[in-house]
Amino acid sequence: MLAALLYLQLTSLKNLLLSRLRRLRQPKYLLGATVGVAYFWLFFVRPMSRGGVRAADVFGAEAGVRFVELVAPLGALLMLLIGLLAWVLPTERPGLLFSEAETAFLFPAPLSRRKLIHFKLLSSQARILFTSLFFTLLTNRFSALGGNTLTHALGWWVILSTLSLHTAGAVLTLTWLSDGGVNAKLRRAVLLGGFVLVVAASVVWVWPDLRAPTGSDLAGVNPLREYLLTVLNGGALGWLLRPLKLVLGPFLAKDPVAFLIALGPALLILGAHYFWAVRMNVAFEEASLGVAEKQGARIAAWRAGKRITLGTPAKGRRPPFTLAGTGRPELAFLWKNLLSTFAWLNGRTFRLSAAVIVIGGLWLERHPDWHVQQLTIGFGAVIAAGYIMLLGPQLARQDLRNDLVNADILKIYPLPGWQLLLGELLAPVVILSGFLWLALLTIALTLVPHGASMAWLTLGVRATGGVCLALIVPPLVALQLLVPNAAAVLFPGWFQSGRTRGGGFDVMGQRLIFGLGQMLVLLFALLPLVFAAVVFVAAFYWLIGLVAAVVLATAAVLVVLAGEVWCGVWLIGERLEKMDLSAELRG
Amino acid sequence: MIEVETLSKNYGSFAAVRGLSFVVRPGEVLGLVGPNGAGKTSTLRCLAGIIPASGGTVRIAGHDVAANPVAAKRALAFFSDEPRLFEYLTVRQHLNFVARLYGIANYEALAGPLLEELEIADKADELPGALSRGMKQKLAIACGLLHSPQVMFFDEPLTGLDPLGIRRMKDSILKRAGAGAAIVLSSHLLHLLEEVCSHVLILKKGEMIAAGTLAEVEARFSNGEVGVGLEEIFIRATGGSEN
Repeated sequence: MLAALLYLQLTSLKNLLLSRLRRLRQPKYLLGATVGVAYFWLFFVRPMSRGGVRAADVFGAEAGVRFVELVAPLGALLMLLIGLLAWVLPTERPGLLFSEAETAFLFPAPLSRRKLIHFKLLSSQARILFTSLFFTLLTNRFSALGGNTLTHALGWWVILSTLSLHTAGAVLTLTWLSDGGVNAKLRRAVLLGGFVLVVAASVVWVWPDLRAPTGSDLAGVNPLREYLLTVLNGGALGWLLRPLKLVLGPFLAKDPVAFLIALGPALLILGAHYFWAVRMNVAFEEASLGVAEKQGARIAAWRAGKRITLGTPAKGRRPPFTLAGTGRPELAFLWKNLLSTFAWLNGRTFRLSAAVIVIGGLWLERHPDWHVQQLTIGFGAVIAAGYIMLLGPQLARQDLRNDLVNADILKIYPLPGWQLLLGELLAPVVILSGFLWLALLTIALTLVPHGASMAWLTLGVRATGGVCLALIVPPLVALQLLVPNAAAVLFPGWFQSGRTRGGGFDVMGQRLIFGLGQMLVLLFALLPLVFAAVVFVAAFYWLIGLVAAVVLATAAVLVVLAGEVWCGVWLIGERLEKMDLSAELRG
Repeated sequence: MIEVETLSKNYGSFAAVRGLSFVVRPGEVLGLVGPNGAGKTSTLRCLAGIIPASGGTVRIAGHDVAANPVAAKRALAFFSDEPRLFEYLTVRQHLNFVARLYGIANYEALAGPLLEELEIADKADELPGALSRGMKQKLAIACGLLHSPQVMFFDEPLTGLDPLGIRRMKDSILKRAGAGAAIVLSSHLLHLLEEVCSHVLILKKGEMIAAGTLAEVEARFSNGEVGVGLEEIFIRATGGSEN
């Protein structure tokens, strides 16, 4: 059995590597792979040779040690939550996850149930080893953790193997409970109720050591760390997390000797989990068949570019607005693509969020003792706006990228290319603009200037500036979205590869190239405009007043941005019309 | 009306369609038959403007597909073998979306009878995920018929349909042809094509082997025999192999 498993694993790995290497013959994959490897080298491998990031540099010399102290209880807490999910999340009758091919070949084969469990546990080792290696590269960047590459790699292996065995044991136990008549509702109620009871008991236990967080606790990193250490290491919670800290022990060992000392208890826990999993004699095959079928359908849907639904099909939703039979056809795409997003992503949510922000902002303004929190929220909103601007276009894909699998249908519609593209862009523009407007509103209400030197920044100027920025947001977002949509049109085969052919350095490199292209567009489109606008305001504010100068500069910026968006939409639309789907998508 | 002159389609150095010329007049149903890889789907996609032709011209209702694709597409409907639907739009919402694209003001008045005719009116608020394959096919057809196209292309329209569905599909095609639509359909189910098509075009390796009314093609390949079916004609015309 072991020989068959090894043959399957090694042959699959060899074929995967060969297919990845073969596709490097195509320039688009070679370019992507080059960028991907360069990125991997610069950000993961090179820092190892330089000793990594020291926690002392981030938190101060003494705090470096305390930072590592925080990793153990927080990591243990995370493991506890992951373990709890393994018991709560599974459906009515969970099954060990085998692939459809594995169920087809192994289940009818002359193998005992225990051998099947062994197969499952051993086959998961390939994934665990790869993940351990990747996590080692990530965590090696932090030299304050101590240890070396080998202890980190082995430490990760112990953690991931324990979690994997715990999940397998939980699944088998839940199947056994299900066979005994315990349904999912009862099981979840008991487990979650039990967890709440344990936490409540823990809180009561450590209550004398607890104190309510003050403003200063939440203001900085160091006081917050001290507060967390007190809560997580004290009382029942501390006892609850203790065995999990033992599992984390080898990874957090400072040196080889400490590693060897920590390895004993960790391996004992690992062994206990192994014993538990393989000794469970439960008829899991039927449940596993169901899980494999669902997984197969999910993979097929993902490869076909369809939305992946869990369980029963979702019901149709109320449309975002009434779509008449006549009118601008672009709005039909907005209507359709808004229907494809999360149900909560609607105008009501944005209006409610805006109301909460306004009420919260006004409340903070009237409470000077919360000034630090006010500033923290304000700067948080600035960071969030930056992230939305840079990452939003990659994440909000309710546009041509999602519809590329239906490209042959799109090509039948009696619309010119620019109109199709414009319609497809509208939904992510609306969604991202909504989020950015909320961020702007938060910034306007929390980063309120104080002091005589800021007296010129009156409420009128701030309101005008805010409105002007809000007006610039939609065309700017549209400009950003043109980059990934242009990539989808110009290199559909390349774009599709990210969805249909799995990951790898080449795909990672392709995504990096998209991101880089998007940032360049932002820089080239925005920097000269911002420079010109600042020069305009500086030159004319004394003549026509600051507010009028800002408004005029914004109008000019809007005209230029709209022109840039229009040119982009028209050019890419032309290309979309000429796109030969037969050559790019279907062969 | 569909007018095709020396249509060709190449994929790199491979010629999928070579110098195809034919005309389909209003009320005619042309059956496109040929072995696997003969170029049937490539031909249909070029005719519908989904993929660009490498050479030749295609005119749909008088509009050149390459020069004036929007006007040509307003007059046509394309039905692929696999119904391609949006997973998150219900049956009714699909029709609403298509109506806006084609600018159909009174689409509700048209959609109701269409859904009734195709027997999916009771599924109007269901998502495609909750529909059987046949139902999905019917929804795709309803979407295509909503703007009353003068020209229709069916690529293997009977795939996945049950016997009743096949009968209804045949009736639907004949009804549209009777109303003056020009129709091209491809299928491997030759005995069914015999019942529906007024004309037939046999393709092999991208080239037209025979074209004309069923009687004309039969006369050419029957060698004087009486009652030779389309299946036998197909085998004789293509030499009994893909190559």
